[in-house]
Amino acid sequence: MAELAVEGLVHVYREGGIRAVDGVDLRIGSGERVAIIGQNGSGKTTLVRHLNGLLRPSEGRVLVDGVDAAGLTVAQLARSVGLVFQDPDRQIFAGSVRAEVEYGPRNLGMRGEALGSAVESALAAVGLEPEARTNPYDLGASRRKLLALASVLAMRTKVLVLDEPTTGQDERGVEQVRAVIAGAHGEGRTVIAISHDMRFVAEAFERVVVMRAGRIVLDGSPERVFRGDAWGALASTFLEPPLAAVIGERLGLGSTPTDASLIHALSGRNAGAPPSAG
Amino acid sequence: MLTLEAVSYRYAGATRLSLREVSLTLGEGEVVGVVGRSEAGKSTLCLVASGLAPRTLGGTLRGRVLLDGADSSGRAMHEMARDVAIGFQNPGTQLSGVATTVYEEVAFGPMNLGIARDEVLRRTESSIDALAIGALRDRDPDLLSGGQQQLVAIAGLLALSPRHLILDEPTAQLDPAGTRLVSDAIKGLAGGGVSILIVEQKVDLLAGVCDRVIALDEGRVALDGAADQVLRDPALHAMGVAEPSGVRLRRLASEAGLAPEVIAGALRAEAWSSADG
Amino acid sequence: MLGGIIGPLILVLLAVIVPALLARVVRDLVRTSLLLTLPIALSALLVNVLFFPAEQQVLLRPGPITVTAEGLVFALEILVRIMAISGAITLFYLTTRPQDLVVDLERRGVSARVAFVANASVQTVPAMVERAQQIAAAQRARGLDTEGSFMRRARGILPIVGPVILGSIAEVEERTLALEARGFTRPGRRTMLWWPTDSGAQRAARWSLIAALIAVAGARIAGRLG
Repeated sequence: MAELAVEGLVHVYREGGIRAVDGVDLRIGSGERVAIIGQNGSGKTTLVRHLNGLLRPSEGRVLVDGVDAAGLTVAQLARSVGLVFQDPDRQIFAGSVRAEVEYGPRNLGMRGEALGSAVESALAAVGLEPEARTNPYDLGASRRKLLALASVLAMRTKVLVLDEPTTGQDERGVEQVRAVIAGAHGEGRTVIAISHDMRFVAEAFERVVVMRAGRIVLDGSPERVFRGDAWGALASTFLEPPLAAVIGERLGLGSTPTDASLIHALSGRNAGAPPSAG
Repeated sequence: MLTLEAVSYRYAGATRLSLREVSLTLGEGEVVGVVGRSEAGKSTLCLVASGLAPRTLGGTLRGRVLLDGADSSGRAMHEMARDVAIGFQNPGTQLSGVATTVYEEVAFGPMNLGIARDEVLRRTESSIDALAIGALRDRDPDLLSGGQQQLVAIAGLLALSPRHLILDEPTAQLDPAGTRLVSDAIKGLAGGGVSILIVEQKVDLLAGVCDRVIALDEGRVALDGAADQVLRDPALHAMGVAEPSGVRLRRLASEAGLAPEVIAGALRAEAWSSADG
Repeated sequence: MLGGIIGPLILVLLAVIVPALLARVVRDLVRTSLLLTLPIALSALLVNVLFFPAEQQVLLRPGPITVTAEGLVFALEILVRIMAISGAITLFYLTTRPQDLVVDLERRGVSARVAFVANASVQTVPAMVERAQQIAAAQRARGLDTEGSFMRRARGILPIVGPVILGSIAEVEERTLALEARGFTRPGRRTMLWWPTDSGAQRAARWSLIAALIAVAGARIAGRLG
């Protein structure tokens, strides 16, 4: 049974009648890592906000673990689907990092041991344990973003939805986010992320959903979605494939969306030839 | 010419220095990139170079900031604005909030400076042309996309006719379409007389547009040299700064015992065909 | 006896309704000024109709309450005056663009900074509302219950109000830096690109209104004395 299912979803914003989501069918299985990409306005944000009930369908339905989300409140859905917003400053309100991370799990009723361990492991996952007592506004912007991530991680939801987790992050922050995704995946959680960073998408996710004008135009593995024959569809939603994919195409190596796959393909091609000196 | 001479800066109420003995020069018409991990001092550098630190932000500054060789510490902020203009990463908060059209928004700066009306109009027109936003002139700035708002913000800065333009992560909050809009605009401005100091995490963007690159590490200048030299320096990686994608792939190829020239060749081929459109 | 009513009524017609018709805002005008004044008007009406002290011409006497003609007339007078005031204010509000007003004030010497604050404050409201909505969404995604009991919802105030205030303050700092970087703090007047045009007709209208005010006030005083 799919963990999440979206059936015939249409969402029309009242002001202007814009069909932000215009007929989307999507099934995401338990434990999958899915990236949703597309230009601003393609419907990605509108779509994911249906997963925890913040938005309700104009048509169609959303099923979370087989249950129609229409019958559940946002607070109830928050037990299964944790959504991390893009701007941490539109969320952080506590006086200390620890208090901020405790907020979510407390709302879900966690106390005592369970609460403590959820908070500790979330802080550890983003590398913020040493700052547990720091005021969030004494941290830099990228670590506040990691704090927002930790605050939802601690809720221990089966599904984790991340809205632009690497935007504004430096290299170290991006690596931290990747580690969090890998860790969540290791625990069997489903991870869904909206992102503009094609390299991050190719390397951290096994499935990529491409959206344009409220619809899904492509849905497959990074190999499929960043293959040469898909570049036209990507361009139509103002996206470019990662450089590794472009080089792989140029060198006739097939679809190599990640650095590793490109190097691997190159090594494979050179197998038998001695490695170059220096 | 904008020069920082052994500048150290501490924010008001902070315990540690954000900049330590930083010296650099921004020469006429140069485009200089600044890289470094988060909290390395890049934004502080921008604020100090523009004069906002310490004038508006307070804090303590040691060392000197020179404009054309003259110490600028005696100048008020509005006087600095005539020579050094600074843009930030949030497109929305840079807009004045009182302009109903893009035209008025771009004119805001020169209007504040009390410049003669004809001159204000002339500068506004020329900035709108320089950023190629003529099609947006009657639009409401609040209703534009992030990328478009950034273009309007930069046009507004150019309208001040500064000699130096400082951009602190102009594409940080933009989607790929917006990033492309802004980076093309910056390429268009380069070599146009205004020198540009640009901070970016998207190192690939800098590779395409900068003459020089400075790397900051813990408030100090760690590297300062020609763009392609610095961006290829292995020390960057150790400092937590991303390498340009091409550089990274060449490095990985070498590490795997492959000839990096293969990658370089493919990169050139790619650049070639994209130039053909 | 009805003199005190007819005069102001004609004034209201001439000075408020006719211009409203010309500006095509009559429907909005009536609706808005009714909204503004209905509670006051109703209570003034009731109080004066039922409890006016003079008892010359009694109309009704239902029990302990005395309805008099004087009371009725007095109440109507008050009503007409309220209509005149609220009508005039609403007419002003409906026919003036805030931007025009602020720009004109600045041209006449009001400091650019005051003008800026007046203009910018209006624009800040929708942005703050949008911010509050986004914050509410983020907190609800973390389990904040906005659909439960009153007590639960009351506890939800800090997680929403906190970031709204903190965020607005942080934003103020960003905005201040951007403004200062564009020479906003320069003392003295700034160059104006445009301003609402004044015409001979408008000036004549302004002066004749002032003259009419003086004339009417004078007549009132003279009437009292003589």
